[in-house]
Amino acid sequence: MKNIYKYITIIFTAFTISCNPDLDRINPNQPTMDVFWNNATDAEQGVNAIYSTFARVGFSRWMPIIFITRSDEGYSASPWADLANAMGGFIQPDYNFGPVVDVWRDNYIGIFRANQVLENVPLIEMDAELKARLLGEAYFLRGYFYYNLALLWGNVPLMLEISTPTDLPPTATQQEVWAQVERDLLNAISGLPARYSSSNDLGRVTKGAAYALLAKTYMQQEKNNDAESALNWLVNGEGAGIYELASGYRDNFLIHTENNSESVFEWQFAVNPTEVTDDDVATFNHNYGSSIAQFMAPPGIGWSDAESRTWAIEEFLAERTIDNQRDPRLSTSILYAFSDERGPEFTMVYGQSFVQRYGNTNRNRAWHRKFLNDHWKNEEGYRSPNNYRFIRYADVLLMYAEVLNALGRTQEAYPYVDRVRQRVNLPALSVARPGLSQMAFLDQLKHERLLELFGEGHRYADLIRWGDLNKNLASRDPGFNNFEVGKDEFLPIPQRDLDINPNLRQNPRW
Amino acid sequence: MKTKLLLRACMSFLLSLGMAMSLMAQTPRVVTGTVVDQENGEPIPGISILEKGTNNGTVTDLEGNYRIQVASESAILVFSFLQMETQEILVGNRNPIDVVMAENIGDLDEFVVIGYQSVRKRDLTGATAVVSTENTRSVTANSIGESLQGLAPGVTVRNAGGPGQGASVEIRGVSSFINASPLYVIDGMIADANVTINPNDVESIQILKDASAAAIYGSRAANGVIIVTTKQGQEGPARITLSAKYGIQQLPRGPEMMNNVEFAAMQRRQFENSGLTPPASVTSNFDPTINTNWYDESTRLGNVQDYNVTISGGSKTSTYLVSGSYFKNKGELIGTDFERAAFRINSRSTKGRVTFGENIVLTNSVRNTPPFGNPFYDVYTQLPIIPVQHPRYITNANPDGWGIGTPDAVTYANNPIALSAINTQRSNFAKIVGNAYLEVELADWLTYRFNAGLEASFDHIKTLRRVGEWHFNQPAAPTTIQENRSTYTSLLLEHTLNFNKTFGLHDINGVVGYSQQQSNNQGILAGRTDIQQFGGRYLETIGSATGDPIADGFVNTDFLIVGYLGRLNYTYNDKYLLTFTGRYDADSRFGADNRSRFFPSIAAGWRISDEAFFNSGFVSDLKLRGSYGELGIVTVGSWDYIGFLNSNPRAIFGPDQVPYVGATQARLANPNLGWERRKSQNYGFDANFLEGRIGLSAEYYNSLSEDVLVNLPVAFYLGNLGGDPAVNAASIRNRGLEIEATYRKYSGEFQWDVSANITTIRNRVEDVGNFGEGIDYIQTGITRSQIGRSIGEWYVLKTDGLFQSQEEINNYTGPDGQLIQPHARPGDVRFLDINGDGQINQEDRTFVGSPWPTMQAGGQFNASYGQFTLNIQMVGVFGYSVLNGVRADIDGYQNTNFRRDISPWSPDNRNTTDPRIGFAVGDPGLIDNARLESDRWLEDASYFRIRNLELGYALAPQLNQRLGIQRAKIFISGQNLFTFTKYSGPDPDVVGSGILNRGYDQGNWPANKIYSIGFNCEF
Repeated sequence: MKNIYKYITIIFTAFTISCNPDLDRINPNQPTMDVFWNNATDAEQGVNAIYSTFARVGFSRWMPIIFITRSDEGYSASPWADLANAMGGFIQPDYNFGPVVDVWRDNYIGIFRANQVLENVPLIEMDAELKARLLGEAYFLRGYFYYNLALLWGNVPLMLEISTPTDLPPTATQQEVWAQVERDLLNAISGLPARYSSSNDLGRVTKGAAYALLAKTYMQQEKNNDAESALNWLVNGEGAGIYELASGYRDNFLIHTENNSESVFEWQFAVNPTEVTDDDVATFNHNYGSSIAQFMAPPGIGWSDAESRTWAIEEFLAERTIDNQRDPRLSTSILYAFSDERGPEFTMVYGQSFVQRYGNTNRNRAWHRKFLNDHWKNEEGYRSPNNYRFIRYADVLLMYAEVLNALGRTQEAYPYVDRVRQRVNLPALSVARPGLSQMAFLDQLKHERLLELFGEGHRYADLIRWGDLNKNLASRDPGFNNFEVGKDEFLPIPQRDLDINPNLRQNPRW
Repeated sequence: MKTKLLLRACMSFLLSLGMAMSLMAQTPRVVTGTVVDQENGEPIPGISILEKGTNNGTVTDLEGNYRIQVASESAILVFSFLQMETQEILVGNRNPIDVVMAENIGDLDEFVVIGYQSVRKRDLTGATAVVSTENTRSVTANSIGESLQGLAPGVTVRNAGGPGQGASVEIRGVSSFINASPLYVIDGMIADANVTINPNDVESIQILKDASAAAIYGSRAANGVIIVTTKQGQEGPARITLSAKYGIQQLPRGPEMMNNVEFAAMQRRQFENSGLTPPASVTSNFDPTINTNWYDESTRLGNVQDYNVTISGGSKTSTYLVSGSYFKNKGELIGTDFERAAFRINSRSTKGRVTFGENIVLTNSVRNTPPFGNPFYDVYTQLPIIPVQHPRYITNANPDGWGIGTPDAVTYANNPIALSAINTQRSNFAKIVGNAYLEVELADWLTYRFNAGLEASFDHIKTLRRVGEWHFNQPAAPTTIQENRSTYTSLLLEHTLNFNKTFGLHDINGVVGYSQQQSNNQGILAGRTDIQQFGGRYLETIGSATGDPIADGFVNTDFLIVGYLGRLNYTYNDKYLLTFTGRYDADSRFGADNRSRFFPSIAAGWRISDEAFFNSGFVSDLKLRGSYGELGIVTVGSWDYIGFLNSNPRAIFGPDQVPYVGATQARLANPNLGWERRKSQNYGFDANFLEGRIGLSAEYYNSLSEDVLVNLPVAFYLGNLGGDPAVNAASIRNRGLEIEATYRKYSGEFQWDVSANITTIRNRVEDVGNFGEGIDYIQTGITRSQIGRSIGEWYVLKTDGLFQSQEEINNYTGPDGQLIQPHARPGDVRFLDINGDGQINQEDRTFVGSPWPTMQAGGQFNASYGQFTLNIQMVGVFGYSVLNGVRADIDGYQNTNFRRDISPWSPDNRNTTDPRIGFAVGDPGLIDNARLESDRWLEDASYFRIRNLELGYALAPQLNQRLGIQRAKIFISGQNLFTFTKYSGPDPDVVGSGILNRGYDQGNWPANKIYSIGFNCEF
């Protein structure tokens, strides 16, 4: 019997080795959502996360490329044929085509983040002014994401609350989407400051940015009176004391002169040399630069996936400065064999002359220069820190001129065009072409906007607004041979979303 | 000569050791005799002879003679030897007692491990496959899983092929969209039997397939359980076994591609067809001296080396086995290799009623491979006019002048040689897997067991990116070094009580117990940019780099499972068998409300051959059985049920443009996550005919998985990131038949056995949850999983040959007379307008074939004639289709080399299946031709393969004696030498990419052809 006790002791000892297990395991990597949204820091970080969307691939790379190539100022000659066809060729058989879907998706990622702020921050007890500002930023950004969606896809689902996996929203019409953009921007205007007191906040969106984007929204809908009053704040109101054109036109595209006086709304980028991904939630060590320069740079340096049409060069050359020079905006906007007037032996392409680099080839090609980094290095990469000045004051002035002209106040519009021309030493329009009719003035504005904003992604919206987006553009941009009116104004809704949500409709004729 | 003497000395030492172990009996009676082999009449040395019920024993000497003293005439001698039929002989007044030993053929008295318990195979009620390790050992395999191919019905093995790559193993189809891998139990430790475990250490493999067999593992067993038992020491003198194998490895070739001249001609034609000027690289600047065969440049002859040494032995009260092994595989792709060294100690000691034992393996594996890229695309798509290396490519960013293409010779392919030289990744996995246990025999019918298992892995992955460029237009990036160190620990603690009691005709046995397992995986990552280089040598430490530091750290998994388990086997008169099994599990990976669940099962068997009415001399044993039960599987991460804050976003602000922390919920969460459950039924019989010479088993199974997690595409407009949130919503059924038959002929000089197995799996999606009205499927790129069909059937456009003329295109019109393919030109692919709306778009996709085989089969043939042995293994998989992604790239014609046997359509070449060739930019017809989502790339991948051929020669006993060894065998083998298939890629045995794209050949590493030679011996 003695042995029995021995064995019981052994067993008992063994049993005590098992601990009393606790099945609530704490995640040491991330806090749960229920401890968040409690104070001002949480609110500010929630808003920062919305801005973080800007460096995602769809946003920072493909969206500007889509805007540029879908207009007549650019196209893609990428050897990646699917890309070349989708970007400006108006051929996209695969509705889930990655680069296009990325743009759709990143805008909605931003919307999801903004919705989290808009739903949670009002409940936080914090400084009322800061709260209003942060909500204003979130409203602005959500409005901006819908602005992009309204332009590119038109009829999209409106997500205005925090997403749940089973949401099956219906398609909203483009008109409904524009209305949402207006609501968000009006909310933003009431919360946002005209300027930030701390320089650490430089780069956050402002009341001026909201007015400018609201004006764009109104103009796309031909609501010219509304647009006039929004722009009035910028041109004649408080904004007039904040913004002015930068003295050097090129300052708007250099890394050393970011967030200058001309900047109304600017995407902020910086280099993270150790980044391992473009996905801004996979790890903190992600890319906060843009890869667009690598994709737009000429061959041998970059992928040359979006290049410039050459017809505009003639429009630039038609202007001469008051001291009879070329319009300096040509070489700032376009890199081609004659970017240096003296020709390919003198035109520098990333540290080599055009001739050294390409010999006799590529003479009929041209590249958009404004996103590139050739002003400070002889290579590109996926980490461009070059900020994208999405709304410049020059754009605002030209918009104001356009709105005034549309309202029949053509003569009043002249001075604003003059300011833009005189900055680059062109003769004032009031001198060069006084007394234009309303119609002729609009035609002149098309020329002015082309030269001032070439390769900055605004022309697609301009062409839509002017009713010029059609097959007639094919003479300048053969991609428009494939353009079908009533279809190609919009991109196809991603098939995946249609497959999942029967309440969604595909865009017409896709 | 020296060796021989040494061996002899060892032998006599060991023999005398054996002798010394014999204890003197009280009333000595001496018995002598000779033991010979029934097979050939030769004496057998080393046969263990034991007086039953005592510690008294001896072994036969080199001439097969023995001498033993026994207590009395009533003593019983037990003659035993591995793989021979054990014989018991009453001593009586016989002397000498000569014994003829025969190879063990009947396996009915074999014990099989079924989880926490061993039972006689003849008493099994659940579906349990026992895999012959004779067959698994004769193939060269990186992992245990890989060695199982074709050997057991219901087990689908698809090979990954590369050095250090595991195989995909599925048991009875796929019942989950997320995880189809079985649970591995190694010597009672639940641990992954991946490439770090040496397949040679394995003594037996049992596969638990149905709910009854697997239910003891409850919440983790739904995909089946593979129980691996490693070799144990045997009672008797020390035995030393040695084996060595060397093999050369060759890749089966894919399509032959064009050389420089052929390519240049074809590309000129391509551009001219599109009215474009061909690139100068194929016209004025064509360099005839550059003619790169990228396949040859990127591949080499591989080899495999496998060495094992084992020392084992023991006494009645303790046994031991120590083994060491080294395995090395040099892959056929340059820059790839794998090596593994392993050391194992298994021992078991008994003192009184207490037994203690442990089974522990220490392994260290090293794998070298470039960290990204897939040369199985590059070697076909890379252009022959680009050199591997050339001075004209030398730039600051590309100092070695790797050939990467130019604006004039555009390629998107990597230069695989450059990539593997510039980017290296060395992964070191140091690992301990094992268990230690304590058993106390409380009564002769009751045993308590405490089992502690440990799997600990220490991984170190070092990645270097040196200076250089490996593809065209490469973006600038600094050189970097990164080191990732992570640890994985899994600790299992179990208390079980085993009982086994007979009351007359009633036999009851079983187990009850408690089990707890905790797993944790965490790691750190450190690195720095700008590694230094002096005189061509890089300094490969983080500290020596000069750029920006990188640091990260994380806990990937941390979870705990607690379970209470029980099994009761009841047998009446050896005829009626009943098994109840159940397990109650709680798992920290679910929210508190869904954390625990009970998984029960029941099984019954009827040995009809023992019934009085059943009287057949032909059928020696027949058992019918059936089972029903429920199993679970966890397919979620440690914390998926809670929504988490992601603090990784960064916003850039301020004049200095610095990052500011952003925080958001990136991933949507579902708090109601629960187990996937599988309810399965199994009906089968086991029969033996002609005294065990023919064995036949058949099973029908029908399992329904419910609450299957659908981790599937949520709409992009939700803005979700970091993985789609899962919902327990879907349901999948797997049904099928498994038949296994064996015939054995173990008499005469020519002895052989043949086994064959057939498996059918009918996989059917029953429910996909609520994805919105009318959406009864899950779409993933080119496959669709729709209710009523199998997981991941091909859902693509259907083609119907080529347009031969413009007239045909003009006549191909829709309901309103519009051209269905307005962009097409003669020579383009005609797509079927499935929905009849007059245009070709995604609405015209339809189901075209399935990646699921209608039948899988395996066959094994083992034979011996004299000193020769032969092992043949065959595998056949029939009736399925594979999407050849590599061919889709090549035959899309754009920025790629061309197949040598390409025959593009032209007005003068109409009798072809290859469409017209041209440059696709601005030519939508060509884009359509190259669409991936089309049945153009689907191919019948049915195949039959001679998986292994091994011819062995056992050295004659006389020779063995002179060498002082007991057994020795040399062999040559050929693996995967012959494959019969219509598939045009290098290998139809495709692993695919994930469960939903199981048949998508994205440059799969094809099954290697291995020619090897080896020997094993025992002394």
